[in-house]
Amino acid sequence: MSASETSPDNRFWRSARFQSWLDRRVPPANTVTLHQKNIFILPTRHGFYFVVLILFMMLAGINYQNSLIFALAFLLVSLFLVSILHTFRNLSGLSLQGGHGTSVFAGEDAEFTVTLSRAGNRTFEALNLGWQADMMQGADLLEVASCRVKVYVSTQQRGRFNPGRLLVQTYYPVGLFRAWSWVDLDLHTVIYPQPILAGEIPSASSSTNEGEIQQRNGVDDFYGLRNYQHGDSIKQIAWKTYARTGDLHIKEFAAYVDRRVWLEWDSLPGLDHETRLSRLSWWVIQVSKSTDDYGLRLPGIEIEPAHGPAHRTRILITLAMFELPE
Amino acid sequence: MSTAIYQVPRNSLAWMLAAQVAVIAPHVGRLPIWVVGVCLACMVWRVMVFQGRWSFPGRLMKTLLVISGFAAVPLAYDQIYGVEPAVSLLMVAFALKLIEMHQKRDAYMVILLAYFVCITEFLFEQSIPYAIYMFACVIMVTTALVGLHQTQSHLKPIKAFKTAVMLLAQAVPLMLILFVLFPRISPLWTVPLPSDQAITGVSDKMTPGSLAALTESDELVFKATFEGQPPQFNDWYWRGLVLTEFDGSSWTQNESLLRKSVYRFRQAEPGWVEGIEYSGRTFQYDIIMEPSFQNWMFSLMVPEVPKDRDFVILHDFRVASIRKIRKRTRYQLTSHLDYTVQEELDDFWRYRYSRLPEKSNPRAAALAKEMYEQALTPAALSRDIQRMFYQQQFVYTLQPGRMDDTNSVDSFLFDSQRGFCEHYASAYVFMMRAAGVPARVVVGYQGGEYNPNGNYVAVRQFDAHAWAEIWLEGQGWVRVDPTMAVAPERIERGLEAAVEKENTFLANSPLSIFRYRQLLWLTDLRLQLDAVGHYWDTWVVGYTPEMQTGLLSRYLDDVSAKRLGILMLASFFTVLFVIALFILAKRTRAPLSSMDSDYLLFCRAMAKRGSPRQRGEGPLDYQARLIQELPALEAEIRFVTGSYIAVNYRGETEQGSVLKRAVRALWLRTLTARS
Repeated sequence: MSASETSPDNRFWRSARFQSWLDRRVPPANTVTLHQKNIFILPTRHGFYFVVLILFMMLAGINYQNSLIFALAFLLVSLFLVSILHTFRNLSGLSLQGGHGTSVFAGEDAEFTVTLSRAGNRTFEALNLGWQADMMQGADLLEVASCRVKVYVSTQQRGRFNPGRLLVQTYYPVGLFRAWSWVDLDLHTVIYPQPILAGEIPSASSSTNEGEIQQRNGVDDFYGLRNYQHGDSIKQIAWKTYARTGDLHIKEFAAYVDRRVWLEWDSLPGLDHETRLSRLSWWVIQVSKSTDDYGLRLPGIEIEPAHGPAHRTRILITLAMFELPE
Repeated sequence: MSTAIYQVPRNSLAWMLAAQVAVIAPHVGRLPIWVVGVCLACMVWRVMVFQGRWSFPGRLMKTLLVISGFAAVPLAYDQIYGVEPAVSLLMVAFALKLIEMHQKRDAYMVILLAYFVCITEFLFEQSIPYAIYMFACVIMVTTALVGLHQTQSHLKPIKAFKTAVMLLAQAVPLMLILFVLFPRISPLWTVPLPSDQAITGVSDKMTPGSLAALTESDELVFKATFEGQPPQFNDWYWRGLVLTEFDGSSWTQNESLLRKSVYRFRQAEPGWVEGIEYSGRTFQYDIIMEPSFQNWMFSLMVPEVPKDRDFVILHDFRVASIRKIRKRTRYQLTSHLDYTVQEELDDFWRYRYSRLPEKSNPRAAALAKEMYEQALTPAALSRDIQRMFYQQQFVYTLQPGRMDDTNSVDSFLFDSQRGFCEHYASAYVFMMRAAGVPARVVVGYQGGEYNPNGNYVAVRQFDAHAWAEIWLEGQGWVRVDPTMAVAPERIERGLEAAVEKENTFLANSPLSIFRYRQLLWLTDLRLQLDAVGHYWDTWVVGYTPEMQTGLLSRYLDDVSAKRLGILMLASFFTVLFVIALFILAKRTRAPLSSMDSDYLLFCRAMAKRGSPRQRGEGPLDYQARLIQELPALEAEIRFVTGSYIAVNYRGETEQGSVLKRAVRALWLRTLTARS
């Protein structure tokens, strides 16, 4: 299919007038059920060729005065019209419910879960949904009454993200018509600033006195045992364990450095805001791989060091929404 | 748009290939053998590509294939303009497109081409079996189309088929409406028709043995439908050609002479038509003639001029077509079987009709002169010649043996005395001419098989016959059938009866169904199938603009294109609406259980008696009200309600059948009581 058929990027479909008409006709809602008011249906390019074929057949029928050629042409006319009903039927009655979206860094593809469901026993086949022509997802509702579809959309800017109207379409059963709808499932997610390589995180500044710093040299904090590998120091062999089990193990010691890291706006002077946020974002990725606690300082915002997925998300959201209206 | 090669779904490809084989198959006999080869090669190639064993042909290879394919077609046919070359070109394009199917739109192209190839078959064949076959092909092509759009298509090859059948089943009623009501218009421009083929049939040259050879064939020549009672069987002389020129053994027609005297509808009546006297009944009949690739047509003597200006009457009162009959043709005629034509014959025509080559068949010529001296009048001579055939025990046979090529009449009359109708007609006309009587040979068909199921006469090749016409002073042209003298059963009952003893009827066609006419059930079946085919040819294949107007004017007082269009659209959209309701109906409600539907029937019965159940009224409340309003039925009401409650709420399922019976009885009583 051409892009013009699969995505709403045609000038008319994108015009403000049409969009506002669409907003009135298919208002945003978390759950949308498709019916005659919000389904559009038009012949495809192949449907147009099909009509041309029928016209040729009719010409042959007229000029040869051949009834059976007429009959076949009429059969195809009827097939063409009946297929409108079937293509429409393949969307009508389908319910779409917006699920949660995953947050991603700008430039990555955000993932949204959309739940398709049906009332009654009508089946839906060869459905296509997505925001972008190159990222359409297929779905069927044949044996199951509902299913979840993960739909992706590419992102560019940090901040609160609404992917816009989701295109749900079908060409089933014969591809002569395309039935579609644009539904706004009121989906939102947050896009984190695009990470930019930012080098080492500057070491603690004046504020490092706060909190508990565990910085010990040497190798005296017992961390655990691991299997002996050729080349390991004999000094580190756990002889007691060897005596008990007969296996060679190495005692491992962890060296603790400063586990409280501050990611600071002020440590990136001379850069514009977005670049600063992008570098901070990159640091977050780096530092969250370690077990260190990390905090964030932005003008007017300070988040105490901590760690864990929730903390990471909190920091990233703060970065994403910084200086943006709620 | 991605340029990656699109892999046609396996299911769709399989159907596509099957459909392609199916639509090409009936053309195979007509196509040059190499076109068939190209088609097969392309299919094999495509399968190999699908299996990943071969790759698509390269650009150079493709260009070569296309150019050579398209160049070879005109070479094979010596022409470009024509149906067969066009069909061959279509086939080549169709096959080559298959190995060029990189993207989805190419797959569409193959499918659209397949639909188009379906209609080309109808240029050649339009019988019921072919129509059914092509419908099956359309189902296959549609299945391939559906297969392109199923996501799980590879899992369910049958599902695509079912979907296609359902789609087409819903399309058929709409198609029928369009077929009947869509305003048919006359051809916009002339188109090439299938080119001439060698068809068996009477020819414009009659040599000894030429008609006997025709009797090997049971092919249909034409079907004639009479309005009202058909004439007597022995009057079914279907004149096709009149042969006037004799060269010693064979008879031919003089074409240049014929072209001079042609009578067309709405033309001033030429002199030779004037003075025809009719008496007795006129017969109106309708002939559907199979393609003969010749100009002559068949009619009963003496026809009125056809109302269609494509057909003319020639000087010898036969009907001919201006163009060769290249497709099944329908024409209507009116004939007068009792007639006097051309009472006056000028010297020119007298000479033409009694001319014989010098010194040809001397013994026969001498005999004719001798007999004429005794007989004195042409009519008596005619009778004497026929008597001679009868008294000298001439044999009517399909195996007359070899004749002398130069003097075939002598050879027949004096040596073998065995012959088929052409021998008798030839000898008779020769002798009449030798005596100076204008005479001519008529070739055509005699008899035919009346089909009571369809009220038509089917004339087949084995009905081929030759007879004579002589011109008598004061009577004009008179038909004489010399075969009558030797084999009256040929005229009375047909060829099969005439050659019954020698058992030569369709001797070389052991499988012909006509050899088994003594099997009555088989004949019955054949006649019925034939009649169905006849109705098909008349009402479906022959549904022309005139037929449409004729049919619709029976039901409408004014058949204009506008009214037709309104009627068509109205009925079309009504049916489409019904189909839409069927398709879009929400099938959400669970089907009613047996007991619920029984109880609802009971409620309907009560409603008919004037006490419908109120909304939300429970069975017991309803029962109480019913007993008050319909006290006569108290026992039944109590019984039905009781057993419904027993089944529904207490789970006593064995009560179900009792409930059903009671409700049915009550329903029937309600219906009968009302009427």
